[in-house]
Amino acid sequence: MNRLSIFILPAVLIVLLAVPLFVEDSYIRHLFIVAFMYAVLASNWDLSLGYTGLFNFGHMTFFGVGVYTAAIAAKTLGVDPWLAIPLSGVTAALSALLIAAPVARLKGIYVVLVTFAFSQLVLQLILSQSQITGGGEGMVRLPYLRLGDYSFIRDYKLGYYYVALGMLTLSTLFLTALVSSPFGKSLKAVRDNEDYARARGISITRQRIAVLVLSAIFTGVAGGFYAIYLRVASPEALGFGTMSLTLSMVLIGGVGTIWGPVIAALILIFATEAFAGIRGMEEARFIIIAVAMILVLRLAPGGVLALLNRLTNSTLGR
Amino acid sequence: MTMLLEADNITAGYGAVTVLRNLSLHLSDNESIGLFGPNGHGKTTLLMTISGLVRPSSGSIRYDGVDITLNRASDIGAAGLAHSPQGNTLFGEMGVAEILELSAFTRRAKVQRKTQMERVYSLFPRLAERQKQLARTLSGGERQMLSIGCALMCAPRLLMLDEPTLGLSPKLKEELGIAVADIAKSGTPLVVVEQDVQFLLSLTDRLYMIEHGEVVREIDRTDAPDHAEIMKLYFGGDSDD
Amino acid sequence: MTEAMIATILSGLVLGSLYAMMASGLSVVWTTLGVFNFAHGALMTLGAYVAWTISEYLGLGLAAGMVAGTLAAALAGIVIERLLVRPFYTNRNMLLITVMTTLAAMIIIEKGTQVIWGPRLKQLPRIADGELFIFGSAISVHEALIVLIAPVTLIALWAFTARTLTGRSLRAAGQNQTAAALIGIHVPHAYGLAYALSAGLAGFTGVLLGSIRFLTPTLGSEPLVKAMTVVILGGLGSLGATAGAAFVIGFLEAFLVLTVGLYWTPSLLFLTMIVVLIFRPNGLFGGRS
Repeated sequence: MNRLSIFILPAVLIVLLAVPLFVEDSYIRHLFIVAFMYAVLASNWDLSLGYTGLFNFGHMTFFGVGVYTAAIAAKTLGVDPWLAIPLSGVTAALSALLIAAPVARLKGIYVVLVTFAFSQLVLQLILSQSQITGGGEGMVRLPYLRLGDYSFIRDYKLGYYYVALGMLTLSTLFLTALVSSPFGKSLKAVRDNEDYARARGISITRQRIAVLVLSAIFTGVAGGFYAIYLRVASPEALGFGTMSLTLSMVLIGGVGTIWGPVIAALILIFATEAFAGIRGMEEARFIIIAVAMILVLRLAPGGVLALLNRLTNSTLGR
Repeated sequence: MTMLLEADNITAGYGAVTVLRNLSLHLSDNESIGLFGPNGHGKTTLLMTISGLVRPSSGSIRYDGVDITLNRASDIGAAGLAHSPQGNTLFGEMGVAEILELSAFTRRAKVQRKTQMERVYSLFPRLAERQKQLARTLSGGERQMLSIGCALMCAPRLLMLDEPTLGLSPKLKEELGIAVADIAKSGTPLVVVEQDVQFLLSLTDRLYMIEHGEVVREIDRTDAPDHAEIMKLYFGGDSDD
Repeated sequence: MTEAMIATILSGLVLGSLYAMMASGLSVVWTTLGVFNFAHGALMTLGAYVAWTISEYLGLGLAAGMVAGTLAAALAGIVIERLLVRPFYTNRNMLLITVMTTLAAMIIIEKGTQVIWGPRLKQLPRIADGELFIFGSAISVHEALIVLIAPVTLIALWAFTARTLTGRSLRAAGQNQTAAALIGIHVPHAYGLAYALSAGLAGFTGVLLGSIRFLTPTLGSEPLVKAMTVVILGGLGSLGATAGAAFVIGFLEAFLVLTVGLYWTPSLLFLTMIVVLIFRPNGLFGGRS
C-alpha cells in the first residue's frame, strides 16, 4: 500500500489532471466529475464503516444535508456558491455531531438501525418542509460557480472537472493523513480489539463521535458541490439508489482501504452510466449493482483492491 | 460381540491445528468406556468428532454398524447417539421443562418422552423443582444436570458425557456421580470423559488414556492400576509417547 | 370522549396492528438467525404485487391472491436465506455482511418489481366493503378486520414458537446451534423455516397494506423504517415486547398526527426513540442485548 501511495498515486493524479486536455466531450467530463464526487462519498463512508468498524448506515444523511445546505444558502439566502460549498461541510459535520452522541453508546444492530432511521428522518423532513426545500420536486436553477467573468457553465465542464478533482484530492489527503496519524492507528486498534483499546484508556465513545464528524466534513462538501454543479437539490440524494451505489463502491473497492472506494467509484460510475444508456436498463442497472455487491461479499471480501494487491505482491514475489 | 461404536484411525482438528492423530477406539454393545488424560489433548475433540460437530480429515467412524463419518450432527443425534457436551450453556431463554420436552425431538425419542421425563426428574429432583425456571438462571451444577437430562431425553442408544462433574463442589460432584452411576446401571452404554480415574473405574469397563491426540494406554477394569500408578501416568511421563 | 380522540385511537389501533405484524416478522428472523432482514419491507411489496396479479390481473379473487402473495414472499425468503445469508453463517462479521446482502436483496426486489410491473399505481381490493361506526367515529370494515387479524396472527405465531415442537426448535437453533444439532434439530432447515415464516408474514402484511395504500415498488420501505423504530423501542428479543412496542408507536403516531400534524410526526417519533435509547440502550422493553 505504501509503495502504491508514493509512486503510483502522484502519477494517477498527473494523468487525471491531463484528462481534460485530451477529453473534450463534455459528457465524458461529466462522468469524471460524478465519479470524483462519489469517490469522496465512498472513501469517507469507508472511514466510519470500514476503517473504524462503526456500523454507520446513515452516511447519506451527511451528503443530503450538504446538498440542501448549499442549495438553500446559494439560492434562498444568496450566499456565493464558492462559500456555500464549504458551508455544506460545516452543516454536515454538525448533523453528524447530533446523531453521533446517541449512536456512540449503542452496539451492533442498534447502530445500523438508528443511523439508518436518522437518514430516513432527514429525508422525511426535507419532503415535508416544502416551502424551504421544494418538497418532492426539490430545488432547481441553483446559482452556478463564477470566477470573475469566467462562467463555469459555458466551458464544457472544464472548470467543474478541476474543482471536483481538487475536492477529491483534498479529501483523500485528509483521509490518508488521518488514518496514518496516531488517532487513525487507535481507530484500527479499537476495531480489531475493543478490550485492548479499552485497557489502553482509549475512549470508544469519543472516538466514534470524532469519526462520524470527521467523515461527514468532505461528504457534506461533496453534497454542496453536487448541488451547485447540477444546479439541482433533490430528495434522491438520500434515497436507496445513491446509498446502494455508494455502498457498492465501498465493498467492491475494499472495506477499510480508503483508496479502494476511490478506484471503485471511477470504475462503477462509467460502468453504470454505460448501462443507463441502454433502453430499459435505467432501473435494472441497480439490480446489477446489487448482484455485484453480493458477489464481492461472497467471492472477494477484501474488495477489488485487495485482489490487485495480492496480484502485484505475487508478481513481485512477495 | 457386536460393536456399537468403532472409531478407526481418526485424524481431526481445527483449521491448521491437528488435535487427533490416527486415534482408534471401540465400544461393544453392552459395555461402557472411560476416557482420561491431560487437558487439551483431544478428549473433547474426539467426542465432538464422533457426534459430527467436527469433521475428521481422515479415518472412519461406525455406529451401530453404519458409517457415520460424514453424517450431520443432527442425524447422528437422531440415530440415538447422545452427547452431553462440556460446560453446556444450552438454551438460555427457555425453561427447564420446555428444554427437556424439546430434547425428545426426534421420532424415536418422542415415543419415550413421558418415561424419559419421569426418569430425568427422579434422577435429578432439583430439575423437577425448577421446571419453569429459565436455563440461564440455573447454577452450574443444575445446568450440568439439565445437560445430562437433555441427552437422556434423546432416548440414547449410546450416551457420551464430557466431564459431567467439571468445576462442581464435592457435594454436587457426588450427587452427579450417583446419577451417572445410576444411568450406567440401567444398561445404557456410556462414553465418559473424566479426570477422576477412580470414578471412571467404578463406572466403566475399560479406560483409554489419551495424550497428544493418541491412545497411549488401554486399561481393563480387571487389571486396573492402583492410585500411585495412575498418578505416575499423569505426572511421571511413564507413557511411551 | 371527543370524536377526534376516538378516531385517533382507532387509527392507532390500525397502525399498531400493521407495525406489530411487520416487526414480529423481523423479530422471528432476528431471534433465530441473528440477522436483521433489510429485505423485509421489499418482501411485503412482493407479496402485494403477486396478490394483485392473481386477484386483479388474472381475476381469481382476493383470497387466492392473498395465499399466492404470502407463498411467493415465503419462497423469496427461502431463496434469500439460502443464497444471501447461509454462506456467511461462520463469518466473524456476519451481522454486518447480512445487513448488506439483505439490503442488496431489497434493491433487487424493489427494482425487479418496477421492471416487471411498471411504475403505474395499482390497488388491491378490500377484504370487505362498508364502514363501521364506533362511538360515532367511522372506521372501514377492512381496517377493522386488520385490527382483528393482527392479534390473531400474532397469537398464532407466538403459540407456534412457544408451544409446538417445530416452533421451539426454531428458538433452540437461535439460542444454541450446537446444542440444537446434538438433540437432532437440523439447524439449516430451522433457519430456512424461520426465514420462510417471517417472509410469508411479510407477504401477508403487504397484501393487507396494499388495499389501504397504492401499490408502488417502494410500498414496503416506509413501513420498514417504522418497523425499525418499533424494534429499536421494543428490542428484537421477544415477540411480546415487539408487539407491545408496535402498539405504543402506533398510538403515539396517531396521537402526534392529531396534535402536531403529519409533518412533524416522524421527527417527534425519532426523537422519542433517541430519548429512550439514551436511557435504555437495549430498548424500552429489552432487558438484555
